[in-house]
Amino acid sequence: MSAYAPMFLLFAVGLLLVLAFFVGTSLLGPKNKGAEHQLPFECGSESTGGRHIRLSVKFYLTAILFVVFDIEAVFLYPWGVKFRSLGWSGLVSMLGFLSVLVVGLVYCWKKGALEWEK
Amino acid sequence: MSLWFALSPLIVLTFGGLGLMMADAFSKTRSDLALGSFLTFTSAGLFALALWIMGGVPAAVMLKVAPYIVLDKFTLFFTATICLGGAISSLLAGGYLPEHDIDRGEFYALMILAAIGAVLLAAAGDFLSLFIGLETMSLGVYCMTGFRRTNPRSAEGALKYFLLGSFAAALMLYGGALIYGATGSTSIEGIRTALTSGEFGTLRDPSRLATVVIAMVLVLVGLAFKISAVPFHMWTPDAYQGAPTPATAFMSVVVKAAAVATMMRVLLVAFGDKASSSWSSGWPPVIAGMAVLTMLVANFIALRQENVKRMLAYSSIAHAGYLLVGMVAAWGQGNEIVAGEGRAALLFYMLQYTVTQAGAFGALILCGSKGKEAVTYEDLAGLGRRHPGAALPFALFIISLAGVPPTAGFFGKLYLFRAAVDGGFTWLAIIGLLNSALGAYYYLRVLVFLYMKEPAPGAAQATPMKSGYIYGALAIAAALVLYFGILPGKALEMAASAGKSLGAKIEVREVPTKMPDTATAALP
Repeated sequence: MSAYAPMFLLFAVGLLLVLAFFVGTSLLGPKNKGAEHQLPFECGSESTGGRHIRLSVKFYLTAILFVVFDIEAVFLYPWGVKFRSLGWSGLVSMLGFLSVLVVGLVYCWKKGALEWEK
Repeated sequence: MSLWFALSPLIVLTFGGLGLMMADAFSKTRSDLALGSFLTFTSAGLFALALWIMGGVPAAVMLKVAPYIVLDKFTLFFTATICLGGAISSLLAGGYLPEHDIDRGEFYALMILAAIGAVLLAAAGDFLSLFIGLETMSLGVYCMTGFRRTNPRSAEGALKYFLLGSFAAALMLYGGALIYGATGSTSIEGIRTALTSGEFGTLRDPSRLATVVIAMVLVLVGLAFKISAVPFHMWTPDAYQGAPTPATAFMSVVVKAAAVATMMRVLLVAFGDKASSSWSSGWPPVIAGMAVLTMLVANFIALRQENVKRMLAYSSIAHAGYLLVGMVAAWGQGNEIVAGEGRAALLFYMLQYTVTQAGAFGALILCGSKGKEAVTYEDLAGLGRRHPGAALPFALFIISLAGVPPTAGFFGKLYLFRAAVDGGFTWLAIIGLLNSALGAYYYLRVLVFLYMKEPAPGAAQATPMKSGYIYGALAIAAALVLYFGILPGKALEMAASAGKSLGAKIEVREVPTKMPDTATAALP
């Protein structure tokens, strides 16, 4: 248990520090109550528009496709480095993995997920 | 037997799912996708049956993929059950989706890919493959729940299911990590060995044991969430009601079957040692308590429902309670004979529940029509006279859910409660019986509205839809409900044999190789 003592000490100091800041600001800080004060802070300028902004679904599609093929690259890299020692079984497993992804890519292509402008 | 044949159900499902995705992308008409999905599930199920008939997968082949995938008869039984549920659900989707203007091919691909996860989950012999199976299954099902994109209820159900489901999966993963920390193994068999021998079996170091108990609780919570046992059922009514009805059917049978399989494997094998599975210090009282709570809460809330789909959702929760009674019976206080009977009863219950519940949701689909999916009891009034062809299958599945002979539900409940009594849990069986009586009230209410009430003048009336796919699904389900209800012997025998194979050691019997002595002697 004593081995963890410095960790707990650090934890306690951190907690105390945060509490001290909160108590300090509420005691010492200036207090302005008003309608202006309740507005959300937007770099000092007047805030405009509603909270709900609808984004086109194509942003999400592009993002998720990017992640999928990024991960594919992550898997391909170590396989490429170890290509010779993994041999045929490595090649076959990798082709299996890639063919599943290719099916997905063809599917996205046909469905028009890769086109930005319809 | 080659490994390819042994893994054929999974391979067929994979190719079927990817093939349907391609078919959806390239074909102009979608009407045949349901048939393709049905054929994929049927052939995967038939491959599982073929493996069963050939005496199961030989140990030498099993060892090639052990411990990650266990290809015992238990897995084959659940594979067949899952494929049966999937096949019925795909036919239902073939009728439902065009009628409700959401005829998109992704549904079938998602369903098959989710079923792959379910099969993997049922076959998982290691916490790693278990988690992969769980996530593969869950992600597909979340999407299917939110498939009616323009319907707020569907979105609500999907979001609730997704958030709570991810949380439950995280808890389960945490449990797996803790058990790995305590025992040094992630495989079900390895955990069992670690818990029965060495420092856990003999030394019983309390601090390490505490880790095991916490891990057990976390894993249990994750699994209880998936089979929607009280108090982890909150998502169920909303998700089941919001989802398109074929997805509801799929969730309530396939997801539940996979979760029950995992629960059996984890609790009976991994945590099947004396300390973890004793009434005083282990999981059985927790499961028994959860069973009582699940049955009572679900049945009482189901009484008050006006919407038939929501009533069936609560009925599905109630059946999770009966399955948990079977889980206690399958433990059987460590007595081999009683436990064998309990396992058989639980597996048979799961099988008959699959056809009955999928059929009930199918009958519900048949009674709804375009723009009127939600059916209340009032809508059903007089349906028995106006459309006897639609009312009859509905009545059959409802009496099977209530457990009235000569249907499958009766034998399911009979075997289950008998196993509980034989295991020394008479009180649990009595609570289960009382709950069945409670359930009969709201099930029979459907029959009363179907056959004994006339619709109020000017009230909305359900107009059954017409679809060959739905008729086909109902015919299959009804035939099986009657088959299991009149001749349950064969299925029960299979369930017993599947239950026996659970947790059995995989050993290759030494085959004496004929090698001349001179040849070996000549070697240095």
